[in-house]
Amino acid sequence: MTALGAMTALGTALRVEVLAWRRSTVQRVATPLLVLLVPLAAVGLTALARSGAVDGAGAPKLAAYATGDPATTHLGVAGQVLAVAALMAGGFAAAAVFGQPLADGRAGAYFGLATPRGTVALARGLVVLAWTAACVLVAIGLTVALSAAVTAAASGSFGSTAWAAAGRALGAGVLAAGLAVPFAAVATATRSPLATVGALIGVVALTQLVVLVGGGSWFPYAVPSLWTGTGGPAAAAGVGGGALALTAAVAPAGAALVVAQWRRLTDV
Amino acid sequence: MTTPALLLDAVRRSFGTRPALDGLSLKVDPGEVVAMIGLNGAGKTTALRVLTGRLRPASGTARVLQRDPARLDVATARRVGNVVGAPLVDPALTVAENLRAAALLNGVPRAQVTAAGAAAVGRLDLAAWAGARARDLSAGNAQRLGVACATVHDPAALVLDEPTSALDPRGVVLVRELVRERARAGAAVLVSSHHLDEVARVADRVAVVHAGRVVGELDPRGADIERRFFAMVLAADTPGSGPDAPAGAGGRAPRGRRAA
Repeated sequence: MTALGAMTALGTALRVEVLAWRRSTVQRVATPLLVLLVPLAAVGLTALARSGAVDGAGAPKLAAYATGDPATTHLGVAGQVLAVAALMAGGFAAAAVFGQPLADGRAGAYFGLATPRGTVALARGLVVLAWTAACVLVAIGLTVALSAAVTAAASGSFGSTAWAAAGRALGAGVLAAGLAVPFAAVATATRSPLATVGALIGVVALTQLVVLVGGGSWFPYAVPSLWTGTGGPAAAAGVGGGALALTAAVAPAGAALVVAQWRRLTDV
Repeated sequence: MTTPALLLDAVRRSFGTRPALDGLSLKVDPGEVVAMIGLNGAGKTTALRVLTGRLRPASGTARVLQRDPARLDVATARRVGNVVGAPLVDPALTVAENLRAAALLNGVPRAQVTAAGAAAVGRLDLAAWAGARARDLSAGNAQRLGVACATVHDPAALVLDEPTSALDPRGVVLVRELVRERARAGAAVLVSSHHLDEVARVADRVAVVHAGRVVGELDPRGADIERRFFAMVLAADTPGSGPDAPAGAGGRAPRGRRAA
């Protein structure tokens, strides 16, 4: 296939996959959850931490949100939530769009098409990635708007540190979205959406262990969270450009893997 | 001599220790409708999976329009349609959307996608459900949609696995007319079915598949196809019976056997 033919096929597959994803139940449920819960959690948790109403086991966890510029805290919390939520949302989406057709046999219908299976898989992965990244962007936009409204009501200001936190939250969310791409390969290998969700949960648990033993700053699945300050300012400062680049490389590597899997797919 | 548009030659495939295809050979020429009939587990669907590239044979040859079905180039793939198992239908999309998606994925030029979808809706009488989601369709209408999606690009080689299993008599007639129309246009059509009466009406040739191979052919125009089918299967199961034995029961040795 020529380069022009490949681009045409990708364009065709993207048109079909965008429509399919727009209509999917998973997308319809996950989108409002992701874009509404994040700003509400960011502003709500900050307000709760500063209210003094929380004591017991939850108090130390919220202590970091109890001081400092409120708007910067809002965006910092949003980044921390998105660092996990974007991975989970993207992972669930990958489980649904790659695992379900293989589980119910619909993937067999992609054989013998003028649009190659690998191209369909690439388009599907790009749509999931773009959707997750778009949700991250909208969630941060809503958080900025809500935070600006809340701080203005309290006679505060939405300053440069808050914008910097918004930028980092956006970066962390998009990185986390990219970390979900390899779960398309997991879904293809296991041919099971549930097994993929299990693997996703397993990776999140593994990340906790890696961070606990101090190896998180170079572990891609820990990098977005650490970078947004989940492990404290020192851990955030320990995340360098190399770790961020390594984390960003996970998405294209995962995409290349799933495209190769779909090209070689058999026994469907 | 006509080059077959669909060809399986001495194909063998096992699942674990259980042989599913035991040297199955079959060919379909352009303009011809061939029906595969057989008991459950005879190997019909496995043969169709091999022919559509979904399953690699352990040995033997599969060809669709002279190409390996597992590695179809784009130009060839544009001329192929199939429904084997689950069709190219997204349950979340409407009938019209599914047909547009199928047309696009099957290589119909964008300017012609709407017309191709409308034509497919008309052929299979789906207009009343054009705006309905596929998941809300009855089993019969869903099956008609699957066939419509597989034929929206007017393929020159068409493989259909039990395309009328869920259809009411009207749907059966629609699919029969579609199959015959494709054949009149020069397409090679291979259909598997359990509906012997329907097979007799739609097929030019009937291949009887049993124990993973074609054990003979039946004349679809002859009387009492069901009796002849069972006689052929029984003869194939009888020790010492060769593939020529069923001829006396109203059948003949398979034309596609060792087709190369």
